[in-house]
Amino acid sequence: MKFEILDAPDFGCLRVRFDGAGEQLVAEAGAMVSMSSGLKLETKARGGLLAAAKRSVLGGESFFQNSYTSTGAGQEIILASGMEGDLREHALDVGQTLFLTGGNYLAHVGERFTVDTQFGGVKGLFSGTGLFLLRLSGPGTVFFNAYGALHEVDVGPEGYVVDTDHIVGFSDSLRYELRRFNGTKGLFASGEGFVCHFSGPGKLWLQTRSPRSLARFLDPFRPVEQSSSGGS
Amino acid sequence: MNVEIEYGPAQSWMRVGLKPGDAIQAEAGAMVRHSPGVEIDTRLNSGRRAGLFRKVLVFFTALLRKFFGGETMFINEFTAPSGGEVVLAPVMSGTIQQRTLREGERLFVQTGSYLASTGDIDTQLRWGGLRALFGGEGLILLECAGNGELFINSYGGITAVDVEGSYIVDTGHIVAFDGALDFKVRAIGGIKATLFSGEGLVCEFNGRGKVYVQSRNFKALVGWVSRYLW
Amino acid sequence: MQIDLLYKPSHTLARAVLQPGEGVRAESGAMVGMSPSLALSTDGPMAGGGFFKKLKRAVLSGETFFTNTFTATRAPGEVLLAPPLCGDMCVHDVRPGERLVIQGSNYVASPDTIDVDTQFQGFRRFFSGQSLFFLTAAGRGQVLLNGFGAIEALDLGEPYPDGRGRLLDTDELVLDTGHLVALTEGLDYEVTTVKAGLIASYFSGEGFVLRVRGRGRVYVQTRNREAFGRDVGSALPAKQQ
Repeated sequence: MKFEILDAPDFGCLRVRFDGAGEQLVAEAGAMVSMSSGLKLETKARGGLLAAAKRSVLGGESFFQNSYTSTGAGQEIILASGMEGDLREHALDVGQTLFLTGGNYLAHVGERFTVDTQFGGVKGLFSGTGLFLLRLSGPGTVFFNAYGALHEVDVGPEGYVVDTDHIVGFSDSLRYELRRFNGTKGLFASGEGFVCHFSGPGKLWLQTRSPRSLARFLDPFRPVEQSSSGGS
Repeated sequence: MNVEIEYGPAQSWMRVGLKPGDAIQAEAGAMVRHSPGVEIDTRLNSGRRAGLFRKVLVFFTALLRKFFGGETMFINEFTAPSGGEVVLAPVMSGTIQQRTLREGERLFVQTGSYLASTGDIDTQLRWGGLRALFGGEGLILLECAGNGELFINSYGGITAVDVEGSYIVDTGHIVAFDGALDFKVRAIGGIKATLFSGEGLVCEFNGRGKVYVQSRNFKALVGWVSRYLW
Repeated sequence: MQIDLLYKPSHTLARAVLQPGEGVRAESGAMVGMSPSLALSTDGPMAGGGFFKKLKRAVLSGETFFTNTFTATRAPGEVLLAPPLCGDMCVHDVRPGERLVIQGSNYVASPDTIDVDTQFQGFRRFFSGQSLFFLTAAGRGQVLLNGFGAIEALDLGEPYPDGRGRLLDTDELVLDTGHLVALTEGLDYEVTTVKAGLIASYFSGEGFVLRVRGRGRVYVQTRNREAFGRDVGSALPAKQQ
C-alpha cells in the first residue's frame, strides 16, 4: 500500500493506493471521499453493531469503523475527516503506545495494531472533561487529524499547561493532572474549561483550534425547537 | 477585465478589476468589498435561454430553498461604468479555480461550487427529484456551457481524478465533472452499509473524463461539530 | 513582549513570550497552552481602567467580554493563543493619540499599556437578531487581532505609517460587515444595505455593508463570519428554547 497525504496542512486527506488484492485499511465511519469501485467495504463495531449504535447515540463517540479491502491491483481510496486542518502519519513499533483523542483518529493499518477505548487510568482521569481518548499500540501506523495546525511541544520536567480542547495526543511517558482553569474561579468566570498540567519528559501534540469554540460560535445560529407547552 | 485570485490555496478570494463595459456575475452573497463606482444588478439564475415557464419554476424553487435553507439561486451582476474593483469570496475556506469554457464544452458544477462567471456561459439547474432538492444529500448540479470564464470554489483543496472505467465519489465531495461522463447517484451498498458505514449517498462515474474532488465536505463538518453541541 | 505568529494564514497560533514583569490580556477562551510559571488572573467585563457601566452591559444583551491576564513573574514564560474560528492573526501597533475600532469577536489580546473599551452600535440584523459589537483600543502597544480567513490590510487615502498595507486608489470603500475586522478611528463610516430597499437586499444575498470614507487603515477578512454562521448553524440540530 502506498500512502500520500494531500492538501496538508490546511485540509489534510489521505490517498491510499493498493498494490494487489487482499490489502486492508481500517478507517473511521463516514470518512470516504472517493474510491475505486472494486474496493470491498465492511463495517465493524466493537461489541456488535446494535450495542455500538446505542453507545454512539448516548455517548456521542463513534464506535463504527469501516474496513476497506482491495480485490485487485491499482485500486485507490481517498479519506478525509469532517474537521479542517492537518493530517499526520505516525508509526508505532511493537510495544509502543500513544494516547490519541478519539475524534482525531482517521485510519490505521496493521493487523496487530490495537485501538483501545476501554482502559482505566488516563481515560478515567479525562472522563469529566468530555475528552474521549484512545490508547493505540503497535505494530502499525495510525493516521490522525488536527483541528487547525498541529503544534508539537517537547515537555520537560518543568511541565506545560494546556487547554484540554486543544489536546490531540501525547506519549505515554508524560505525567498529567487535570485542573479547572485558575483554581476555584471555575468555568464561567474565566471562559476557559479544564486545563491539564503535563510534566515530562515526553511529547505532546496540540491542535491550534478548538471544536468546542466553534460549537459555541455556531450556537446562536442554530434553529430553535418550539416547545409546545400544552394549554395556557 | 483583470482577475487575481489571492490568499490561496486555503483562504482564496478573487479581486476583479472592471473596465467600462465589463460585467461579471456572481452567486448571491459573494461580494466582500467594492469601490464606489461599481453597480450591482440582482437577477434570477434561470439560465440565459430560459423561457417564461422555466423562469417561474426556478423562481419558486429559489424561494422555497431560500426559506428551507440552501443556496439562493439569485445572482448579482457587477459592472462599473467608469471603472472599479469588486472582490468576491465563497462562504467556506478553500480554493478558487478559473476554467475557460468554449462552445461545445460542458461542465457539471455542484451548485455550492459555483462562484462567478463572465461572458456567455449558460447555467442550467439539474437535480435528481424533489428529495435531492430538499434532502441535502442528493446532487444538485449546474450544467454550464458556452463561451466565457467560470470561477469554481472548493471547500478544501481540489484534486482532479482521471476516470477510466468506474469510480465512486461521495456526493458532498464533488466540485465538478466533465459533461461526457456517465453518472448515477446511489447509496453505497446494502442496508447495513448505508445505515452503519456512515457514508451517505455516492455518485458512481463511468466512462472517460475528469472529476474534480474537494478535500472537505459541508455535511461532514456539520456532523463533526454536532458532537460538541449541548 | 514578543509575539510570534505560527502556522499562517489558516490556523494561526500566536506565541507571546513574556519577560519577568510583562503581562498580556487575552480574550477568554483564547489560551491553548502556557508555561506553568505564569501567574494568571481573570478580569471581569472591562472598560478602560476596569469599570464597566451597567448601561453598556444591558445594551450588549448577553454579549459578554471577559479577559484573562497572563503575567510572567520571576522567570520568562510563554502563552499560546488562538481564536475560535479558522484563519489568520495580525498585530496592529497602536500609537498614543490613535484609536483602533475592532469588531468584537476579532480581538485576541493586548498588553496592559492598551486600554480596551466596549462600544455598542445598535445595528439590528433584519433576519437573525445579531448585532454588531465594537471595541476600541487606545494607548501604546501591540493589539493582536484575528481574521476569519486571511487578513488584508487596506489603506485608504494614503499609506499607513507601518508600510504593511495595500493602498486603494480611492478614498472610499463599500465593505460587507461580515468581512470587517477593524479600522482606525478617523475614518468615517456608516452602515447601510447594499441595495435600496430590504427586499432587494434580501435577494441579493448581501446583508449590511459599511461605507467607509477618509484616510486610515481597514482590516478585512477573506471569509464572512455571518454567512458562515448562518449556513453551518442552520444545518445543525435544533436547540431547546
